[in-house]
Amino acid sequence: MSNSALVDIDSLQISVRLSRTRRLKIVDYASMKINPGEMIGLIGESGSGKTMLCRALIGTLRRRDAYISGGSVMFDGMDLATAKNDVWRQVRGKRIGYVPQSALAGPNPVLTIEAQLLESLGGDETLSRADAKKRAKELLDIVQIRRPDIVMKQYPNQLSGGMKQRVMIACAIALQPELIVADEPTTGLDVTVQAEIMKLLKEIRDQFNTAIILVSHDLPLINDVCDQITVMHAGATVENIASAEIEKSKHPYTIALYKSRIDLAPPRGELITIAGQPPAVGAWQTGCRFNQRCDFVTDACLIGEHPKYIELSATHQTACINHAGIEAKIGSSL
Amino acid sequence: MNTVNEKVNKTAEKGVDNRKVFAYRVGIRFIRSIAVAFWVTVIAFTLIRLAPGDPAQARLGAAAEPEAVEALRKQLGLDVNPLEQFFNFFRGLIKGDMGISLQFDREVTDIIFTALPVTLWLIGFSVLISIFVAIPIALFVATSNNVLIAYIFRSTTAISIALPNFFIALLGILIFSIRYNWAPLLGYTPSFPENLKYLWLPALVNATTLVAILSRVLYSSISDTLKEEFVETGVIRGIKRPRFFWFYILKPSLAPTVVLLSYIMGVMLGTTIIMESIFALPGIGTELITAVISRDYPTVQGITFIFGIIVVFFSFFGDLMAYWLDRRVKF
Ligand SMILES: Nc1ncnc2c1ncn2[C@@H]1O[C@H](COP(=O)(O)OP(=O)(O)O)[C@@H](O)[C@H]1O
Ligand SMILES: [Mg+2]
Repeated sequence: MSNSALVDIDSLQISVRLSRTRRLKIVDYASMKINPGEMIGLIGESGSGKTMLCRALIGTLRRRDAYISGGSVMFDGMDLATAKNDVWRQVRGKRIGYVPQSALAGPNPVLTIEAQLLESLGGDETLSRADAKKRAKELLDIVQIRRPDIVMKQYPNQLSGGMKQRVMIACAIALQPELIVADEPTTGLDVTVQAEIMKLLKEIRDQFNTAIILVSHDLPLINDVCDQITVMHAGATVENIASAEIEKSKHPYTIALYKSRIDLAPPRGELITIAGQPPAVGAWQTGCRFNQRCDFVTDACLIGEHPKYIELSATHQTACINHAGIEAKIGSSL
Repeated sequence: MNTVNEKVNKTAEKGVDNRKVFAYRVGIRFIRSIAVAFWVTVIAFTLIRLAPGDPAQARLGAAAEPEAVEALRKQLGLDVNPLEQFFNFFRGLIKGDMGISLQFDREVTDIIFTALPVTLWLIGFSVLISIFVAIPIALFVATSNNVLIAYIFRSTTAISIALPNFFIALLGILIFSIRYNWAPLLGYTPSFPENLKYLWLPALVNATTLVAILSRVLYSSISDTLKEEFVETGVIRGIKRPRFFWFYILKPSLAPTVVLLSYIMGVMLGTTIIMESIFALPGIGTELITAVISRDYPTVQGITFIFGIIVVFFSFFGDLMAYWLDRRVKF
């Protein structure tokens, strides 16, 4: 299974240039595999480096003064970590689509919806302008926007948040990419609209067999639609687990995220939240970066490097060195 | 699904409606511009009469016979009460007649028609230079992402805002007119393009401050735009350079600068008087000053009325342009 992976991110490190000489490591251990047609949820508190990881996949780190400082990002046999512009031109937008963070700021405010769809289709030189217009309308149909003729002529500020995000999804799937990177596609939308966008993404996956990385900080929201869940904490991936198995998690952070879901809170009871703050970028402690917030911390967690993945099965990796020990305690507390 | 489709239908209809709403707002703005011009004139009418001094006396001199002064007052239509004078003025205004200057025996409209173009040319030329200089500078500094360049930019613009225009003007005259003889010391020819010979130096002096202000505002807007998520989508779509610079960086950043510029152009109507007197240009500012000094009521009223119209028109045009550039702008 792992040989056929579409994306194989291995021990990826991302740093930013703060000044001529100062560098700051933002992501220092990210590993994940994505198979063709797989929907994978990338989850973690804000600031954990999810957006940076997405940018590594679409090659826009340089715009933010960031760069890949270690590890590899294999996409269909190519290493994107060292890819030059000509490789990116073949991959970006064509084989990897992108739905940017936050629905409200996604579409370009000074271009009509039609112009943006045509731009997204522009990577296909064989398409005539008339065909591109026809295709643009089809794309709006796919993302279930009614009256595409009217919407085409509108500017983003005339659309609701959910509509904007549908348009962004239409742009992302324009050239039928093998992978879509959707960075928090539903942040800032109504709960009902959130569910509809999630459903739409799943339908697109089912219809076109597109692999999707779905970024979120809301585990319950994406656990239902994704096949795999990768959890990120303070610049490192800490667990990768099949969403159906989420209750058998072997990492205290995943467990805490899962337990903090609202629908598990007792009526009138206290909402369970994760104690403490994640360590700030550049102020990471030694040992496991979750050790200050963990209920299961041992002396071994306080020393050495942040732990790397321990392979439990083909679809389950955890970075918790105590994964065997916490199992019994979790069983009773859940 | 239903909720979404309802929303789609609602917003879809908005698109049709927008044109009507737009026309309605343009109409409102037009009426408002007339109203503003009216009030500006009322205020100028009142203030100039509150000022001590009398036009007839001013014209005939302090030693004139009281009978002669009284006769002139009657001839100039100043013997009736101010309210009647005001109605007389407005009755004329509707017919396009602003009366006759009390100092020159010339139609006020004639004075405005000869002097206003000089000032408008000066403003227009200054603004044109400023736009062509400010946009590349702001783009360059904002996209270069270099601390040293940003520092140099901030300090030079601060200096050129702080230096008084008349000081730069005098320096300009010393260097370009007296030392190198590239610019005429004074005079003016109304025809284009010969007038540029007289206008380039004052316009350049005006531009030193204007470039600094505009490029600063534009720089900060562009910096904000560059942080926005949609810029990423432009990269993903593989947009080629010139198109990318225009649609993904400049166009979404220009609106605040355009609005500011339209206000500044209004303000410049009044402030170019300094340039006009230093460079001896026969502009509208010069006319206004002499008219105020000699209590030339009709000329003062006529010029302020035109100022009111122009200021409102500039800001209306600026708002329209900002809306055209960027639909996020409320219009
Ligand atoms: N240019 C930068 N300079 C310094 N820190 C940065 C820069 N860009 C991002 N960061 C930091 O990197 C961390 C990860 O950011 P991000 O990937 O956006 O997190 P997420 O998407 O998970 O919320 C954040 O703490 C952020 O403050
Ligand atoms: Mg993010």
